[in-house]
Amino acid sequence: MKFTKLFVFCFLSILFSVYAHAQDVNVSGKVYDENGLPIPGVSILVKGTTKATASDFNGNYAIKAPAKGTLVFSFIGYSTVQESINGRNRIDLKLIAESLSLQEVVVVGYGTQKKSVVTGAISSIRSKDLEKIPAGRIEQALQGRVSGVTIAASSGQPGATSTIRVRGVTTFGDSGNNPLWVVDGVVVDAGGIGFLNQSDIESIEVLKDAASAAIYGTRAATGVILVTTKKGKAGKLTVNYNGFSGFSSPAKTLHLLNATQYGALLNEKSVAAGGSPIFSNVSALGVGTDWQKAIFNTSAYRYSHELSISGGSENSTFYTSLGLQDQEGIVSTEISNYNKKNFRLNSTHKLSKIFTFGQTLGFSRQKSVGIGNTNSEFGGPLSSAINLDPTTPIVEMDPIKANAAPYSVNLVIRDANGNPYGISSIVGQEMTNPLAYAKTRLGNFDWSDDVVGNAYLEAAITSHLKVRSTFGGKLAYWGDQAFTPVNYLSATSNVLKNSYGKNENKSFAWNIENILTYSNKFGNHNLTVLLGQGAYVDNIGGGSGNTLFGLPISDYRDASFNFDIAQSERSSATYDLVEHKLTSLFARVNYDYNEKYLFTGIIRRDGSSRFGANNKFGVFPSFNLGWVVTKEDFWKENNVLNLLKIRGGYGIVGNDAIPDFRYLSLVAGGNNYSFGNEGEITTGYANQTLDNPDLKWEETSQTNVGFESRFFNDFNLTVDLFKKTTTGILRPINIPGYVGVTTNPAGNVADMDNKGIELELGYKKRFGKVNFSINGNVAYLENEVTYVATDSKFITGDASFQSMGAVTRTQVGQSYNSFYGFKTNGIFQNEEEVTAYANSAGVVIQPNARPGDFKWVDTDGDGSITDADKQFLGSNIPKYTYGLTLNLDYKGFDFMAFAQGAAGSKIFQGLRRLDVGNANYQTEALGRWVGEGTSNDYPRLTNNDTNGNFGKMSDFYLENGDYLRLKLVQLGYSLPIDAASKIGASKIRLYLTGENLLTLTKYTGYDPEIGGGVFGIDKGVYPQARTVMFGANLQF
Amino acid sequence: MKMMKIKYFFIAIASVSLGSCTKDFVDLTPKGAFLSDNYYANQEQATAALVGVYDPIRKNTGGFENTIAMMNAGSDDHVAGGGGATDGAGIQGFSNHTLTSTNIPGSFWNDYYQGIFRANTLLVKLPGVEMTEDLKERFTAEARALRAIYYFDLVRMFKNVPLLLDPLTATNMYDVEQATPEAVYAQIENDLLAAIPALPGDVPAATESGRITKGAAQAVLGKVYLFEGKKPEAAAILAEVNGTPGATNKYGNKLLANYSDLWVVANKFNSESLLEVSHTSAGNSDWWFWGSGADEGNTLNVMVGPRSYSRPTGSTAPDLPSGWSFNCITQDLYDAIKADPRFGATVFDLKALKAAGEADYIGGYQDTGYFLNKYLPRKSDVRTGGGAAELNYKQNSYIIRLADTYLMEAEALGSGARAQALLDAVRARVGLLPVPVTLAAIKNERRMELAGEGLRFFDLVRWGDAGAKLGSRGFIVGTSEIFPIPSRELQGTKLKQNPGYN
Repeated sequence: MKFTKLFVFCFLSILFSVYAHAQDVNVSGKVYDENGLPIPGVSILVKGTTKATASDFNGNYAIKAPAKGTLVFSFIGYSTVQESINGRNRIDLKLIAESLSLQEVVVVGYGTQKKSVVTGAISSIRSKDLEKIPAGRIEQALQGRVSGVTIAASSGQPGATSTIRVRGVTTFGDSGNNPLWVVDGVVVDAGGIGFLNQSDIESIEVLKDAASAAIYGTRAATGVILVTTKKGKAGKLTVNYNGFSGFSSPAKTLHLLNATQYGALLNEKSVAAGGSPIFSNVSALGVGTDWQKAIFNTSAYRYSHELSISGGSENSTFYTSLGLQDQEGIVSTEISNYNKKNFRLNSTHKLSKIFTFGQTLGFSRQKSVGIGNTNSEFGGPLSSAINLDPTTPIVEMDPIKANAAPYSVNLVIRDANGNPYGISSIVGQEMTNPLAYAKTRLGNFDWSDDVVGNAYLEAAITSHLKVRSTFGGKLAYWGDQAFTPVNYLSATSNVLKNSYGKNENKSFAWNIENILTYSNKFGNHNLTVLLGQGAYVDNIGGGSGNTLFGLPISDYRDASFNFDIAQSERSSATYDLVEHKLTSLFARVNYDYNEKYLFTGIIRRDGSSRFGANNKFGVFPSFNLGWVVTKEDFWKENNVLNLLKIRGGYGIVGNDAIPDFRYLSLVAGGNNYSFGNEGEITTGYANQTLDNPDLKWEETSQTNVGFESRFFNDFNLTVDLFKKTTTGILRPINIPGYVGVTTNPAGNVADMDNKGIELELGYKKRFGKVNFSINGNVAYLENEVTYVATDSKFITGDASFQSMGAVTRTQVGQSYNSFYGFKTNGIFQNEEEVTAYANSAGVVIQPNARPGDFKWVDTDGDGSITDADKQFLGSNIPKYTYGLTLNLDYKGFDFMAFAQGAAGSKIFQGLRRLDVGNANYQTEALGRWVGEGTSNDYPRLTNNDTNGNFGKMSDFYLENGDYLRLKLVQLGYSLPIDAASKIGASKIRLYLTGENLLTLTKYTGYDPEIGGGVFGIDKGVYPQARTVMFGANLQF
Repeated sequence: MKMMKIKYFFIAIASVSLGSCTKDFVDLTPKGAFLSDNYYANQEQATAALVGVYDPIRKNTGGFENTIAMMNAGSDDHVAGGGGATDGAGIQGFSNHTLTSTNIPGSFWNDYYQGIFRANTLLVKLPGVEMTEDLKERFTAEARALRAIYYFDLVRMFKNVPLLLDPLTATNMYDVEQATPEAVYAQIENDLLAAIPALPGDVPAATESGRITKGAAQAVLGKVYLFEGKKPEAAAILAEVNGTPGATNKYGNKLLANYSDLWVVANKFNSESLLEVSHTSAGNSDWWFWGSGADEGNTLNVMVGPRSYSRPTGSTAPDLPSGWSFNCITQDLYDAIKADPRFGATVFDLKALKAAGEADYIGGYQDTGYFLNKYLPRKSDVRTGGGAAELNYKQNSYIIRLADTYLMEAEALGSGARAQALLDAVRARVGLLPVPVTLAAIKNERRMELAGEGLRFFDLVRWGDAGAKLGSRGFIVGTSEIFPIPSRELQGTKLKQNPGYN
């Protein structure tokens, strides 16, 4: 039997070879990847023979093969393709990366791991996913792409940061909740990742579970985001250009009252409080000024150019890039724009058989001009445009008025024609004509220069043992410059003497890491052991600021620090940063049996300079287990469930993101007083706080259970369930005031849980010539404070609004910073309802209320409305976050649509200035209560709001924050290879992108996406722009 | 060559790495501040610590939550005002006597206790400081006098307060209980009596004015006695300060000839001033540290200014910066003081100016059109240098001035020639003829003379008139005389809320 088989085989071989010999053709061509880049080293085999060749550095190959034969193209990491020759002489072939391949590699911190054996909850984004997102800040590119990461822009100002929370809010406060960013092994703070250029990024990995993040020990509690930049590939020099330009416009404007409506409401308010009408003839006021139209730019220009060159030989490879971005803001564009230039050089060199040297270096320069106050009730163009009365003209054209006060006697700002910008005589305080305001800020900007890089030397001592030493650093310079001319914006906002100031800051952070990796295979046992040691120092540096007053100039362009200004007209400030140091030892074991049973164990010991003598060091252990069920012998290969990996783990990580020296009672200055009649200050010293040598790590333990699967061949599903518990949350302890210290000592005061489910589902299929893929993710999150130190039953929230004070509160059983205030129960329609509203003892609850006032819920039933009646009104943390990406390509065309959103949160809509009685209203106010039966949710308007309808924090201010946003739509067309190659290009692709085209939401403010230390506080957030761009992608 | 370089690379890394493994690497010493154990070693440090004890006295007119703005708002002479019914919940709550443990600004409690904590710490440390015994005695006296001043405000505002004479620690801070007001008053007397002999009668004006003098401590003690109802003791000690009515006292104090000169910004530490709070623009005060220890500006100024003030061309109205329209003067005080020679210095009648077309403004909450001229912000006083212009007014404010001690002594005496002479001297200075001395006459004179200086509410409470004068404003006799204890002070502590509050 055996003999027969062998005989047949030999016979066929001979037959084939004879046949082949007779009809062989010379086939040549080029193999390239999805980006059109040549792939060297692809193995090309004539099917059924041993005859093979490989593509060269330029991806070219040539082989003799039977004219009716088949070529098999294979390369690690790409799907193998069998291509029938059909007599052709030239076959150019695109190899598709096997994104779902078991060969895919994931960056796990201090190394990589095959995806098939990864046991943690790690989400990845690859360069090809990033390429289609118009370059902005990197956080924006992550939004909606990975499950369990909540991202909300803090402003629509170009270049503005976003707020990122990995698996919920881990601790109290803002900065302590930022994830740890590690760029090519260098720890950079979240605020400082603006230097990254999107197209330089090879991959981003988000380590979500504690057991994965534990390798970063003390700083990993809030999640770790690993960024790997691109490296060169050996082979032909590749030049890649990507550029686009486009125009932005506001996606939405508010509906504000016009002058006639405004006049009528103001009269009504005044009369209701016993006053006289303010305007005698409201209809004569007409439509008035549309302040929003005055500040919004519907064609803000934006462009981006990126050029990269990469290549190398077998021993040395390099990747270098240049980028330039410029973006105008949609609000008051002359004082809102952003510019970034960056440069990168990454290279790797094989020094000898043993030694490899590599380095990465990125430099960026950013300049940002901002509108000043955003998301603030205290002025700025947005707040002014919303609150200013529509009866004031943008420019006062009436010569009689323009020559009278206040225009005649003050240094008012004038337009190009010399006419003064209108000054409101009705709405005052910080609300000023936004066009005039813009003219006073022309000389203001922020800048930053960042240099981030690392260098490593690796020695492959044996084929199993490697030693790597890495030195990394980040050098950051940043500052701002401001010229304020003499000006008169209003009676409240005016400057009598000009000033020119600048602040310059520098910080340096470095780290050194030594890692020993042993990796070996014993039969089916795969073992990798990593031992590491690290030292980290950051916050080295300081800064200074200087301001000169009374420069002998009036235009910002003439400002100079070289003017000889008297010492008495200068002010300066200088400070040192306080160093933060960590010393660490860490170890990791990865073990698997035949890639079927998986184990990862990590332990890290960190010492931090931020803790007291009694608790300087902390140890953070973790483990993960995995089982690839479908690898079991009993699992028969089938078309239903192709892959199933069950995994789970537990780990503890830390957080030392608190101010320095909080465990010590320091005697510090700043408790000053002025003696003598010459106004000189004597610095006073005092104990700032009480000692707390027991201050210790805030610990976050996390259990993660999940599975990864592929079913029906085309579907991928990953599900994770987690419970994250933070204990001993570090926060200033609110001690009694009679102790007499000015700074509250830090203490471990609270515990908090985050529970959630994350789901990522993908489907990819080829229908004829159409490639179709859809990827969705959704995460559910529940945040609950489980313990607050006994001396206070709650912690006053971090968000406040004007004179309301805190509008949130943190208390056991509620989510962190939940909205807290009065609950309304409709509006009193008549006097009878006021008197009828009594508690069980018959006490009238709101005896002083008038018809048209809110009926407040008397929660405690004591017959009066007091602070004790406040209750929790909802959370600002979205319960659900989701994203959906659709990709289609057909021949040269490709189409992508991406939508993202959040649900289950409330937004505080505080766009109107409460203490400015005459501030304008949104048109909702037209539906106010004006008599019995007219409204049950919008109270009467009066200048004497004794019921606190508008002054009290209540559910009246809260709105549903759910939204779904069509974030990105892109349509591209790639020229055929032949056409491209005619001009020497390997790829020419043109595309049209629309950003932020549609947002589905019930929210009445500009934009439901509101980041910041506390999500969902809208005091006039700079809204996200809608942009349409045209771009080109070229490769040579 | 290449291998050599690699070797050095490793040596460099190894040495840095080994150095970073030790505990010393993460053991840092703070810079720019001192450890508590090492401080208070010499005269320089003791002086800096004493300055820290003085710092909270600035509360009189410093920061949004300042004593004069608050106490004015609760009296019948002023409304709270401001931008709206919720602009400053504490000041609004006191104005209509609806204060609760949550809307009472905690700083009226905390700031004084910060001064007390610093005084207590300094008093513990002073014996070990290297400096002359004379200077130690003076420092001790100043710290005790300041402690007495802070307790005097606390006991009048909150009545039932903890009496702490040693700094608390993390271990004993929750064991504290409230003392009786009598015990607090006894300690105040004790501190002042001990301080008076060691305090200087006079200080160098250029460098030390503002520091507590013998006369200042005696004036405070007299006031303390008056509030305790110890009239003979009050009269006796106040006579020490007042000397011959109308003449210069033994410390050089004398009524200013011109009443309105009291409110000239440059007229700091004038001869009528006994205890004065110092303000300067040199601190470049800014919003981010407003009201804290480094804020040296007078905030009352901007608070009482009219909103969006403007003048037409050729107007004769004063050129004023705008403010926030707090502490508008009530029609009641306006009517009472209209015919008094002190009217112009006390009331800025913007209502009249607006009616005459001489000036314009936007009315704030509870606007009456009458503004507190004594502390109105002045254009000439607007800071043009660093910091926020609104926060760098440098007008000093009085805690006690000679006209006040004259009237307090007259009140303590009740009748007689000296009482008459004291009352006459106050009236004569503004050109008013004598009236027979009676308690009613003294009460009226105090209201006219000291209007808007934050004293009226405590006067009404002391006289038992608060219920009658403030009943229409929501004042409840038996409760509203004192503030509620801030809620924070009740959480986890042994403190009890004041009666009538919850």
